[in-house]
Amino acid sequence: MTIDILFIWTAFKEIIRALPITLILTILPLLAGFIIGLAVALIRINKVKFLSGIANGYVSFFRGTPIIMHIMLIYFGFPLLIDQISKKFDLGIQSDSIPIILFVLTALSLSAGAYLSEIFRSGIISVSNGQMEAAYSVGMNSFQAMTRIVLPQAIAQSIPNFTNIFIGFLHTSSIAFIVSQKEMTGAANIVASTNLKFLESFIAAGLIYWGLTIIAEGLSFLIEKKATAYNRGGVQ
Amino acid sequence: MIYLKDIKKSFNQQPVLKGINLKIGKGEVVTILGPSGSGKTTLLRCLNFLEKPEEGIVQVGDIQVKSKKATKREILSLRRQSAMVFQHYNLFAHKTVLENVMEGLIVTKKYKKAEAKRESELLLEKVGLGDKHDHFPSQLSGDQQQRVGIARALALNPEVILFDEPTSALDPELVGEVLSVIKAIAQEGITMVIVTHEMSFAKEISDRVLFMDGGVIVEEGSPLEIFNAPKEDRTRQFLNRISRDFSVSFLEERAN
Repeated sequence: MTIDILFIWTAFKEIIRALPITLILTILPLLAGFIIGLAVALIRINKVKFLSGIANGYVSFFRGTPIIMHIMLIYFGFPLLIDQISKKFDLGIQSDSIPIILFVLTALSLSAGAYLSEIFRSGIISVSNGQMEAAYSVGMNSFQAMTRIVLPQAIAQSIPNFTNIFIGFLHTSSIAFIVSQKEMTGAANIVASTNLKFLESFIAAGLIYWGLTIIAEGLSFLIEKKATAYNRGGVQ
Repeated sequence: MIYLKDIKKSFNQQPVLKGINLKIGKGEVVTILGPSGSGKTTLLRCLNFLEKPEEGIVQVGDIQVKSKKATKREILSLRRQSAMVFQHYNLFAHKTVLENVMEGLIVTKKYKKAEAKRESELLLEKVGLGDKHDHFPSQLSGDQQQRVGIARALALNPEVILFDEPTSALDPELVGEVLSVIKAIAQEGITMVIVTHEMSFAKEISDRVLFMDGGVIVEEGSPLEIFNAPKEDRTRQFLNRISRDFSVSFLEERAN
């Protein structure tokens, strides 16, 4: 068996056309997860009655099971649920008409929310209690103290962790292929099997993922430097 | 102005305040002395509900709160009667010096930004930091940070300023700067409650000195009474110990 170096470039051009899907499958779940994660973290930190039990269960389940399982459960479970509800209330919604990508996005968002909630929680806990007390002492209520004083610091300190999750989810988006979403790994598979050049195709896909990761790390580094300058004597 | 009735507080069933009664008049400067663990900081923190007393009544200005059924709204309006200067400064780390002072004005006093800025600049000038507006707290020395903390408290124009060991975290050589700023504002007639270990400062600045031990106010009086003629044994022992430490360190310095 030989390796066709030139085909790597051919495959590269073909695979990168699936980049938008990969980015959608990465960024949208993280945006949704950002909101879910923040809400869940605040519920757990403030030990909100009733809700904190649900939040604990949610984080435990979604961090305790593989993401591929969430996709499977929602891909096979939701249509069933939707059809049942639709029949009961006569809504006329057909689960077949819902694009598959919505199920994948839902599953990934719920996973991202669980992982991000722990990042928010650790970030918030890491801000010293004195900051909250100082905010109270100038007359802020809990909401103002949280949004104006604690969260900005918690989020700035959590940037490396967010990047970590971003990279993780960039790579995790590849499993959407199992429910026939043609993102980059899916595209690589198709190029590979139609041309029978597996090694070349996956080298090309690997290079794209690696490149994206390097770009993400670089951006994160720059943002982190700016966002946490206050902590390093203003040195950017 | 300030009125405390039968304040009780315990941590893990360990009583820290065992029924404190206290009245402080407008414009009065009161210092609280006492050995560590005597409850003086806890008492101060009960005044703005950073510690929630288990029993008793706290009144600051016109706002009276019964500890047992204090609502969030009551606690908020009680807190808006006072400002606090912390032992570890607790400046908002992600905000510049100027923003630290402006924050309370914008959020609680609903000032316009330009107005808040003007007011804050004046206050920073007053504490001798007119040239540090755009610095972050991490770029300042301890005494500079504490002077920002004092400016932040003054900006709120509160009924009372609470000082929680304002110089305890400072290098000895920097203590003087902060104390002189506090003295200057004491002369303006602002009501102040100060927890401190600086005896000569307490002597000089106070209208009244409270000596606390074991969760009760053991003795109170004018600085002259407390420092020169303490009535209680415990006060006398405490002052003796402090002054002995002071003379020992003085001798050590001479010997070196």
